[in-house]
Amino acid sequence: MKTILVKTLTAFCLIFSVYLMDVQTVMAHGEKALEPFIRMRTIQWYDVHWSKQAFNVNEEISVSGKFHVAEDWPIGVPKPEASFLNISTPGPVLIRTERYLNGKPWTNSVALEPGGDYDFKVVLKGRLPGRYHIHPFFNLKDAGQVMGPGVWLDIAGDASDFSNSAKIINGEMIDMESYGFANGVLWHAFWGILATAWLLWWVRRPLFISRYRMLEAGMEDELITPQDKLIAKSAMVAIPVMVLAFNAMANNDHPNTIPLQASLDQILPLPAKVNAGIVNVDTLKAEYRVAERAMKFDLKIDNQSNAPLHIGEFSTANVYFLNKDLPVAHQDLSGSSTVSEEGMSLDNNDAIKPGEQRTLTMIVKDGLWESEKLDGLIRDADSRIGGLLFLYDLTGKRYISSITAAVIPKFD
Amino acid sequence: MMSANISNRSFRPYTGEKARISRAYDYLILVLALFLFIGAFHLHFALTVGDWDFWVDWKDRQYWPLVTPLMGITFPAAVQYVMWNKFRLPMGATLCVAALLIGTWITRVFAYHYWNFFPINMVLPATMLPGALVLDFILMLSNSLTITAIFGGAAFALLFYPTNWPIFGLFHVPVEQGNGQVTVADLFGFQYIRTGMPEYLRIIERGTLRTYGQYATPLSAFASALLCSLMYTLWWYIGKWFSTVRYLNKI
Repeated sequence: MKTILVKTLTAFCLIFSVYLMDVQTVMAHGEKALEPFIRMRTIQWYDVHWSKQAFNVNEEISVSGKFHVAEDWPIGVPKPEASFLNISTPGPVLIRTERYLNGKPWTNSVALEPGGDYDFKVVLKGRLPGRYHIHPFFNLKDAGQVMGPGVWLDIAGDASDFSNSAKIINGEMIDMESYGFANGVLWHAFWGILATAWLLWWVRRPLFISRYRMLEAGMEDELITPQDKLIAKSAMVAIPVMVLAFNAMANNDHPNTIPLQASLDQILPLPAKVNAGIVNVDTLKAEYRVAERAMKFDLKIDNQSNAPLHIGEFSTANVYFLNKDLPVAHQDLSGSSTVSEEGMSLDNNDAIKPGEQRTLTMIVKDGLWESEKLDGLIRDADSRIGGLLFLYDLTGKRYISSITAAVIPKFD
Repeated sequence: MMSANISNRSFRPYTGEKARISRAYDYLILVLALFLFIGAFHLHFALTVGDWDFWVDWKDRQYWPLVTPLMGITFPAAVQYVMWNKFRLPMGATLCVAALLIGTWITRVFAYHYWNFFPINMVLPATMLPGALVLDFILMLSNSLTITAIFGGAAFALLFYPTNWPIFGLFHVPVEQGNGQVTVADLFGFQYIRTGMPEYLRIIERGTLRTYGQYATPLSAFASALLCSLMYTLWWYIGKWFSTVRYLNKI
């Protein structure tokens, strides 16, 4: 027996030590797990910026940015009639103190309009020290989570310094970290003591075998005494009376309460920023070359602006392909790890003149298609690509088009 | 040799070693039952009531008092059948709900607070102990499935909201947030980030269950009372079908 025990314990320790050797912190949130066509053709993020990436407990930072809701919304995904901009965190290591959509305060969910343009800002406050990989992302009702670009945040300081107070409507300040806790424990303890007393009242006597034998012997009347009945009758009246009295006391203590609030916020899109009608881009054909990890687009571009334009970037699902020959600066992508600095090539890199219509070929090529699991698009039920094409004039002014096309795979 | 199949005339209470062993068996069963109900009832409750019991901003005036007693009366009814019909012990409901609360508190403190960093006041559990006590009293005094189902089931549902209002009422005080009013409970949901719990998932006064003259809770509570009576009966019979005393008969 002793040998078996020792062997079992040894085996357990060995197995457990293997787990200990390989313990790693989770670095992702499944952001690549969602089908590529949903990541590419629902929420199209850009200009996402964090005010700080290293800060202290109690310090406030913000993440702001823009997104376009794709016109070519996949037919298999429910329309974004209830959407919630969230922050992917490992629990509330930060708290969200404010959130804005198009400059308006935004507390609940909102209906987004396909084709609409929005900007957002979320104010966060450090709560627990540590290093965390964080994304802004959208919870889309019945569709899933569409991640925005992620960054690493370093929160320094002491968790015990965290404070979070709120002003309730009568002007009183409350501490959100402890509000109502002692009161809750008190009531649980009160009812717990009564219940324990009732259980002990019965447990103190011989229980199962004895009572079963007596019941089988027809001695039922001896199992419940008149004293038991008296206590039960008294308590049966006393408990509902106490419940109602305590309920009345609580109402008295907090006369002005309201039901939980759950309205859908009404926030309209901004005037068009993407597909604004000045520069029109039509995707004639898209072809994905599996072996080269390259997407080839045939584009027809109509420049109705009054300035010559260069194609600067193509972004899809938070991956950016840059034209290294762009004569002006790209958008700030310093925090992103999914940028292909030289990933874009054009068959004609000359400026597209005002009023000119040009058909050109753009190839965006990088291992990121594979590492970001976007190449799986060709095996999706809805194998259409979507993304944002950024065109720049020489002053750095941008024109953005949301482009979309069915993808033809080339396997050799 | 001990035997449970004895007549009234020949019945003799256990004494000496038999009484000691019988008592040891009582404690063994009680401890096992406690762990079984902590695990099984807690799992059942988490899978059925779930978010309504987890989060303070889910405890609404309409679906919370409807769903919670309805799912909460299940195990108590089944265990009451065994405890009462086989042992005349009127403590099945109280034992179940107490076990549920032990499991719930352990989870809230260790899983929600220490593991996932939520403040405990955001995840305070509700209590059904007064309803469970009354359920046990009614069964004991009536010795009737019908009366307990109708009056006990109704009491279990009707007592739920007023029992919990002293715990959760203060979370319904309004706060101004983002040019609108929310409750303190809503503010918890907004501030303390839950990646898998967007606001729209909450079921707050949706569907055809409406208010009447702006009163919602009494309607829900009475709907729950009716359903609890039916649910009690169903689970009483589940307790009957799945319980056995065959091992006691072999003693």
